[in-house]
Amino acid sequence: MQVFLYILKRILQSIPLLIIVSLISFFIIRLSPVDPLAELKLNPSVSKETLQKETERLGLDKPIIVQYGKWAKSFVKGDLGITSNGEQVSTKLKERIPNTLLLAVVVIFMTWIVGVPLGVIAALKWKSPVDRILTVLTSIGMAIPSFFFAVLLLLFAVKTGWFPVGGLTSSNFAEMSLGGKIWDIAHHLVLPVTVLFTISLAGLQRQMRANLLDVLDSDYVKFAKAKGLSEFKVVYKHALRNAINPMITLLGFEFAGLLSGAALTEYVFQYPGLGRLILEAVLRSDINLVMASLMMGAIMLIAGNLIADILLIITDPRIRVKGGVS
Amino acid sequence: MKKWVYVVLVLVFCGLVLKACLHRDYPETMQAQTNIKSDVEMVVFPPAQKTVTINGVDYLQSQAPIGKFGGEIHSSTIGEGPKTFNPFNSKDNISSLMSEVMYDGLLSTDAETGEPIPKLAKSFEIIGNDYIIHLRKGIRWSDGKEITADDVLFTWQNIIFDGFGNTSTRDSLVIDGQLPTVEKIDKYTVKFSTIKPFAPFIRMLSTPIAPKHVFAPAVKKGKDYFYTFLSTNSDPKTFVTSGAFKLKEYVPAQRVVFERNPNYYMINKNNEKLPYLNRLVYFIVADLNNEVLKFEGGELDVINLQGANVARFKEREAHSDYKIYNLGPSTGTMFLTMNLNDRKNNEGKYYVNPIKQKWFRDLNFRLACDYAIDRKNMVLNIANGLGEPLYTAESLNSIFLNKKLQPYPKDLNKAREYLIKSGFYWDKKGHLRDKDGNHVEFDLYTNAGNTEREAIGVMVKQDLEDLGMKVNFKPIEFNTLVNKLVNTLDWDMVIMGLTGSPLEPNGGKNVWLSDGTLYMFNQRLEGDEKSPRFDWENEIDEIYIKGALATSFEERKKYYDEYQRIAYEQKPFIYIYSPIIITAIRTKFKNIFPSGLTGITYNLEEIYIDGEDK
Repeated sequence: MQVFLYILKRILQSIPLLIIVSLISFFIIRLSPVDPLAELKLNPSVSKETLQKETERLGLDKPIIVQYGKWAKSFVKGDLGITSNGEQVSTKLKERIPNTLLLAVVVIFMTWIVGVPLGVIAALKWKSPVDRILTVLTSIGMAIPSFFFAVLLLLFAVKTGWFPVGGLTSSNFAEMSLGGKIWDIAHHLVLPVTVLFTISLAGLQRQMRANLLDVLDSDYVKFAKAKGLSEFKVVYKHALRNAINPMITLLGFEFAGLLSGAALTEYVFQYPGLGRLILEAVLRSDINLVMASLMMGAIMLIAGNLIADILLIITDPRIRVKGGVS
Repeated sequence: MKKWVYVVLVLVFCGLVLKACLHRDYPETMQAQTNIKSDVEMVVFPPAQKTVTINGVDYLQSQAPIGKFGGEIHSSTIGEGPKTFNPFNSKDNISSLMSEVMYDGLLSTDAETGEPIPKLAKSFEIIGNDYIIHLRKGIRWSDGKEITADDVLFTWQNIIFDGFGNTSTRDSLVIDGQLPTVEKIDKYTVKFSTIKPFAPFIRMLSTPIAPKHVFAPAVKKGKDYFYTFLSTNSDPKTFVTSGAFKLKEYVPAQRVVFERNPNYYMINKNNEKLPYLNRLVYFIVADLNNEVLKFEGGELDVINLQGANVARFKEREAHSDYKIYNLGPSTGTMFLTMNLNDRKNNEGKYYVNPIKQKWFRDLNFRLACDYAIDRKNMVLNIANGLGEPLYTAESLNSIFLNKKLQPYPKDLNKAREYLIKSGFYWDKKGHLRDKDGNHVEFDLYTNAGNTEREAIGVMVKQDLEDLGMKVNFKPIEFNTLVNKLVNTLDWDMVIMGLTGSPLEPNGGKNVWLSDGTLYMFNQRLEGDEKSPRFDWENEIDEIYIKGALATSFEERKKYYDEYQRIAYEQKPFIYIYSPIIITAIRTKFKNIFPSGLTGITYNLEEIYIDGEDK
């Protein structure tokens, strides 16, 4: 019950936040000198009448505040409006969200499966060669700019021909068997996942290592050891549980970050995800599409944090006892 | 044990690096040769297509060599992909391209001569102001319904003339406030009539024809609904087409797949139904670099090459499975233009500083700038030699090009003479001053991010500073620039590019008529339409209208030669160069007849694959 009240409170708190985010983004986009019709205006074969009609259709002839009001009204009703090309924004997003989600989930899953154990190993073997090698590797991972790494891997794909050059599916995807389809997508995912995995693995591993080292150094761990508990029990039952808390908070951010933060990698690999869609929408000043994706980003961030906090309540009894407010 | 792991890791790493670096080393034969001769003149085109009647059906028979059936071709488009599949809604090139694949027009263009030739129509006659179109009997839409005069009538009357979708076609056909009329004579004959003879109309007949039984319900629901009709979200199965291909699948941000239309009305010399290819795939790529990588990776079969890539691909051509064609100068033009505006805005302020107005409105000043510009140098250094210096308003591949207008080299002395004629002089420091003593200084804009135009800007700046002018070169964001050009008009000089049509100069009327939407050098906003004009502006207006109303090619050519001469002498636009189109296509594709007018894959139905892999 307490948990539900807590969730409700958090949701209510996020409403003013969303309003502020939407206001700021709407005005920044509209005040920027980007003209959604610029391309059309420079096309000699487009007539004056067509331009006039487009301006009216997109509502560009009305003051910004009226435009915002119109947008906000339909947004509250759950209608995201249409893009400047006349397509439903919601269908447009629906096309892309599964792709980006697939990439994000695979990457998060892999980084956690690999990153957390590596962090634990590094912390336990502190200052040993294994720790040092891991430090070097993760430093490299953190140092390579994702954009550059993506381009390198793409060149690798072109030269060897082992991997497809970008995209998510092959051109004959529709005719493949189920197994073939899964293999085809996996084949296309290898390179983008490698890039994102390398980058976020480094951060996660370092974080885990530092947390665990901190905890291992604390008095209660020393006490547990002195009491004669086995090394295994000390580390995995007591130390790890305490060290994992900050990581869960991190997960909340990472989830929101990956949805939008993979944009560069998506762009290089021609991955049909949200990042590319948003980038193109911003360049075109496609207000409904940009607003919808920004709002979604904000909601994802809030939801990610909420989930992380709930997970914390479950893992950490201390928070539960204090009454579920963090 | 641990050492083992390290050794293996290092070996794997080295192996990967080596594999990535290794490819057969070709001898560097010579310095990258960018001066590729045009291939277009050497192409031997097949004889003209004929109409053959078999079992009462008027097929269009290709006279190209007979090929093999099967296979697919992979092409690409740069950007976001199509925005609509409705041919009447498209406002961008990619959407138009996609709908042209699916919907044929009554007429099309001969790739060799640029003449209009029958396509969906069997034949056409022009009698005075009447265009009589005879349709093919018995040819069918992809769903099996017959294509008849009703479809043509519906398309022109109920979609185009009634103003559905993008009305640019309709707007360009208004003569003296009236639209042409269209009527059905019988099931296979349609008659169009224009109020006056109007030559550009014949080209308009290549506008796609829509299947009435599919489009009529959408038209009934009104213009707003029509705008979303056949959008990119539509189910491919609902498409009923007349073209060689029909939509099979659209995967957003990845590709558009077309499949063979089994009811297509074109046959080969063995009377087998075309097209040869089973599928046509357009990959949607985000930028040029990615397109090149995809071509190198073998995922694309045809690509337009630019800049340094041409030299790189040319070097490897002999050892590769592609061939590079030079299609000659494109319709794209790069130009420099000055703001000749002498009007005030709503707040009573001049759009252009009156001191600068005197310079820009002075023909001698424009001529001096023109002579100061080193076009050859720009072609060599910016376009890697892949361009042709341009001096005329019509592009170099236009059938209306005025060949009498001669090119001339950079000539600073001549430029100085013109300046002196108008009372300009140089002070002790070498700065150019006008006769009132004002230092000649102005802003030069172009859109940031377009590296080609930015490079031109830098060179133009250098060239003009040779004359002692001070040029502040400012690349600004594209949208901001367009806003300056069409709304606020507060600019001095700008470098831009436009594309035109090699076949129909009237398409440029928005650029050349003094009340046009793109009359950049002297844009008249609402309320200024009646403002005074230069004599030569009036002349061009008159010629442009007459040119559209004249009927024979020779007569039209005279008018358009004249407008090009005026533009050549008055320099509202100082043309710089036209890029050359270089296309690479895999050699396994046969029946390739590249044309400077229509490109390389215009005859998709005739192209076939001959070679080991399919």
